[in-house]
Amino acid sequence: MLDFLIQLITTPAVMLGLVALVGLLIQRKNAADVTKGTLKTILGVLILTAGSGVIVQYLEPFATIFTQGFQLTGVVPFDEAVIGALSEKVPEIARNGSLILALGFVTNIILARFSPYKYIFLTGHMLWIMSGALAWAFYDLGYSTVQAVLWGSMIQGLACVLFPALAQPIMRKITGSSEIGYGHFTTAGVVLSAGVGKLVGNPKKSSEDMKMPKSLEFFKDTAVSISFVMVLIYLISVLMAGPEFMKTISNGQNWIVFAIVQGLGFTAGVLILLQGVRMFLGEIVPAFRGIAQKLVPGATPALDCPVVFAFAPNALIIGFLSSIVGMVIGMLVSRTFGEIVPLPSIIGGFFTGGIAGIFGNALGGRRGAIVSGVIYGLVLTIPVALFFPLYGLETYGVTGIALLLSDALIVLSGVKLLDSLHILPIAVPLAIVAVIALGWIRPNKKQGKSESV
Amino acid sequence: MKIVTVCGMGFGTSLMVKMSIDDILKELGKQADTQAMDMGSVKGLDADLFVTSKEMESSFPEVDAPVIYLDNMTNKAEIKEKVIPFLNR
Repeated sequence: MLDFLIQLITTPAVMLGLVALVGLLIQRKNAADVTKGTLKTILGVLILTAGSGVIVQYLEPFATIFTQGFQLTGVVPFDEAVIGALSEKVPEIARNGSLILALGFVTNIILARFSPYKYIFLTGHMLWIMSGALAWAFYDLGYSTVQAVLWGSMIQGLACVLFPALAQPIMRKITGSSEIGYGHFTTAGVVLSAGVGKLVGNPKKSSEDMKMPKSLEFFKDTAVSISFVMVLIYLISVLMAGPEFMKTISNGQNWIVFAIVQGLGFTAGVLILLQGVRMFLGEIVPAFRGIAQKLVPGATPALDCPVVFAFAPNALIIGFLSSIVGMVIGMLVSRTFGEIVPLPSIIGGFFTGGIAGIFGNALGGRRGAIVSGVIYGLVLTIPVALFFPLYGLETYGVTGIALLLSDALIVLSGVKLLDSLHILPIAVPLAIVAVIALGWIRPNKKQGKSESV
Repeated sequence: MKIVTVCGMGFGTSLMVKMSIDDILKELGKQADTQAMDMGSVKGLDADLFVTSKEMESSFPEVDAPVIYLDNMTNKAEIKEKVIPFLNR
């Protein structure tokens, strides 16, 4: 019976469904709404998982082709796929990850309630990736389940308030208020890139003052932009591998047809994944908000990239295109120091490269947006190549994919560093105390609150 | 009544607007089915009102219901000002 309950609760989809259930019950929704919200949360997570399966299926032959074509080990930086694959291979990572996700959210609420950093992190797939990555790090270091969940959820909670706080000054410039925060674990990367953009740009010359050509607007449609770039990447790789080699991979299918179908199949996988994300977030964010409103008055929700897109659509497209340029440069640079070459992450380029453009525009105008995008492209490739060997994904039988999120790389490296210094069990609780103490030391300085109310 | 909020992806800004409209409905004591949706899925959708951002105006598909375009999708005052007249119709 206990085993049944544990298994049920630690299935990520069911667990998130339970979070939605609690949130909806707190809001005293009627039975129909509660049932609908809970079920659709669970179905959303399952669709999301199915989508990552399709993506991985289309990436597998690609890794072989790329290796043959460029005589290099190419990896696709794609966090959902990494965590999905790890959870599938190691049940303990899946279970601990789910527990860290749940308890990390509780820690987030406590920190938001008692510290000056009043952010409730609501970007579900980011929470899922970070908690999975933490579960993986502690499993890799040989920690017990209890320790992994204890330290993991504390670190998760800290990340949920500190990273949005880092981005908030820029968010305030963009949105003109403090009503929303940036809840995405690429914060360190985009803030750094925007900072470089600021050095070279002029915030008075905003990208939004110029007109983008209409012909580029269709890139706003993710289905179009991803298809376009993925088919191109597949075509180039297939060309480099040569038609002879391709016959062994494609079952005799014409190599150009093969490349087109593979590129589009990848895109189809992304669309399935996004459909799942949409259904899942559509239910869990309002449910989450119910919990937050009751427990943390005055909280700022930290939300996913797209909430900022509408504030600077031109900067979004500039950021997307210039981050692709940066990623290609990053690929060439990575070639010079390692065997691992991160391929351009088109999803990262559109969502977070776009954010780098918007942040860069806020600090350094249109020149800032371009430079910020290019720098962010480097952030999306070079650290991936540098950190890849540190975690030994291959030892888990996971090949061809790599972790990308800048904040996750920082947090994981921090865990490894603290562990090697043997101070992790002291440092993590100390950080929690320090963050809460800040609220007592500076009780009068409430960050940005006066503007938002 | 069915109100559909729309943004590019269907889970960022559209979700925020959906929640704001839910709050407004609650304040007014009115009932309506609200849903957040991505641009790509709007075509052929049956609804009484669509709410989206100004930025989408040029590429918004043809629909059989009125469309409200918001200058700032996070500004609750603007949402109120534009949506309430419709609810009271």
